[in-house]
Amino acid sequence: MNNEPLLSVFDLGIATVQDPRTLVNSVSFHINSGEAVGVVGESGSGKTLSALTILGLLPRGVEVISGEIIFGGKNLLNLNSEELRQIRGNEIAMIYQDPMTALNPVMKLGKQLLEVIASHDGINTNSENQVRDLLSEVGIPDVNRAMESYAHEFSGGMRQRIMIAMALLLSPKLLIADEPTTALDVTIQQQILALVSDARKKRNMSMLWITHDLGVVANLVNRLNVMYAGRIVESGSVEEIFRKPKHPYTAGLLSSLPTSTGTNRERLTSISGVPEKPWLVGNSCGFAARCSRAQSRCHNEIPQLVSKEENSVACFFPLGSK
Amino acid sequence: MSLEIANIEKIYKIVSTQTVINALNGVNITLPTGKTLGIVGESGCGKSTLARLVTGLEVPNKGIITWNGLPVNNVNKGSFSTKKSVVQLVFQDPYSSLNPRQRIGDAISEIITVHKLVAKNLIESRTSELLALVGLADDLKNRYPHQLSGGQRQRVSIARAIAAEPNLLVLDEPVSALDVSVRAEVMNLLIDLREKLNLTYIFISHDLAMIRYISDVVAVMYLGKIVEFGSWEQVINNPKHPYTQALIHAMPDHTVIGNPESLAKTLEGEVPDPVNLPTGCAFHLRCIKATPACAFSTQTLIEISPQHLVACTEVSV
Repeated sequence: MNNEPLLSVFDLGIATVQDPRTLVNSVSFHINSGEAVGVVGESGSGKTLSALTILGLLPRGVEVISGEIIFGGKNLLNLNSEELRQIRGNEIAMIYQDPMTALNPVMKLGKQLLEVIASHDGINTNSENQVRDLLSEVGIPDVNRAMESYAHEFSGGMRQRIMIAMALLLSPKLLIADEPTTALDVTIQQQILALVSDARKKRNMSMLWITHDLGVVANLVNRLNVMYAGRIVESGSVEEIFRKPKHPYTAGLLSSLPTSTGTNRERLTSISGVPEKPWLVGNSCGFAARCSRAQSRCHNEIPQLVSKEENSVACFFPLGSK
Repeated sequence: MSLEIANIEKIYKIVSTQTVINALNGVNITLPTGKTLGIVGESGCGKSTLARLVTGLEVPNKGIITWNGLPVNNVNKGSFSTKKSVVQLVFQDPYSSLNPRQRIGDAISEIITVHKLVAKNLIESRTSELLALVGLADDLKNRYPHQLSGGQRQRVSIARAIAAEPNLLVLDEPVSALDVSVRAEVMNLLIDLREKLNLTYIFISHDLAMIRYISDVVAVMYLGKIVEFGSWEQVINNPKHPYTQALIHAMPDHTVIGNPESLAKTLEGEVPDPVNLPTGCAFHLRCIKATPACAFSTQTLIEISPQHLVACTEVSV
């Protein structure tokens, strides 16, 4: 057995092509085999861009300016589009926030799912059964009818189940999920979370779960990366980060959330100001302008991610230190 | 002094399929002035329809909504451009609810002008006063919406709503579109304004934690009906209806960590099509406590303890 991580991202930097603006800066993280890792951040923090880069799906006008993404001994950033296509679906699959943009609206679902197999492994006599089994595993009630239906005939929750089935079809080693439950009602969200969690454990599949909702990842992943203004500001086990957050942003975020239980309703602690644009941060900590612990050093130097006990934190004056 | 929502029914007809959606099926609420009613429920439960009816944007097919005894519709129509309005609405998306070509100052002063609330020479200072009330700097007056952050835009929407000097503010998911780190500030602002201006709120959300934070009384809706109603302590800390219980269990909770059990689902299936409502209790198909009788007997709200109403015979008997 080797102990190499399944996926390692080193020093990833992403910027716009014209009028270069940095969007993601010095992002490094890894995912071990069978492990679930979460990425939490607000809009513009760079969480989705980082994930899209893994699959070579960066939108036009945005490019990687530094770093490596090592998967199976290869740097994914050096692969050509055909080599990447072999990895997408087969090895790494992704599910998105809006399943309607990922499903073909004018193709019956059965055909659409079979096409996934056809374009990678090739269809054999067992392929259709494979599709049926997966559709029933993800909780589609009438599989035969579903195979003959179009995406618009399903509810949002059912479409997301179909997306998950499609992602699992080729038994990928890594599933990347970009806020797949954000648009769903809470009771349906819970069903989808349970479904993904079970399917992942059954297959010992690794997962990267991207969200803005700390509550969603609290019980879903093992480790967490907190992103702010294009950088990872805190990284570590979920338990450590939620119980003893070290970065003032993580701590502020946690205490600004109202709880759904208990008898007291204390005033919410809010973080003043708004998230900074990554390209405007310059030579300082991106959170300094909103941080109550900030000192002059924070405005003149970029804090690097440093391991402290179990967690890593990018802060000169982290919580819990003297 | 109160808002009375009495026996409201709202039906939408779909012309192309000749079908009817029962958006609201007999909703009754009494809300005393100065209090906040939280309405929680999933998509299609009728919470936004109720908001549109209370604000007079739409007319119910049956029932009446009154503010201090006067029908909300008439109050609004009769006094639309002459004096302050009774009720104002704040929408979810501050990106689409502001005119992109109108400066912030004009967006606010427009309301004061239309309602003829102050003399012309005082409009400018009243606009500044409103900006200060919602915690925005005065120099934002000359900016356009695209130059503002989401949180700032939502503050502008709130300033526009209170510019008409309403008694009642209907807040339809006012923080759902905002970044997590700015939600708390807007929530605290709403709480401050409620006190300062003696406002009554209807706060609509799918987020129980936000509902719990701001509400005095809470109504849980399912498919056009209120299934549970009571004080926030009663409904959220001691839920009785199986749907409320499932909803609370399904809320992602950041204070419960490393407990995979919390992912265990409590509700099977999805919300039924409002065009073909199930017979009997609309929730019985997904309910863990359902008995065969639930498919036939309609449930009405019954007071199980003072001011705590539940529409479920399995609970109230």
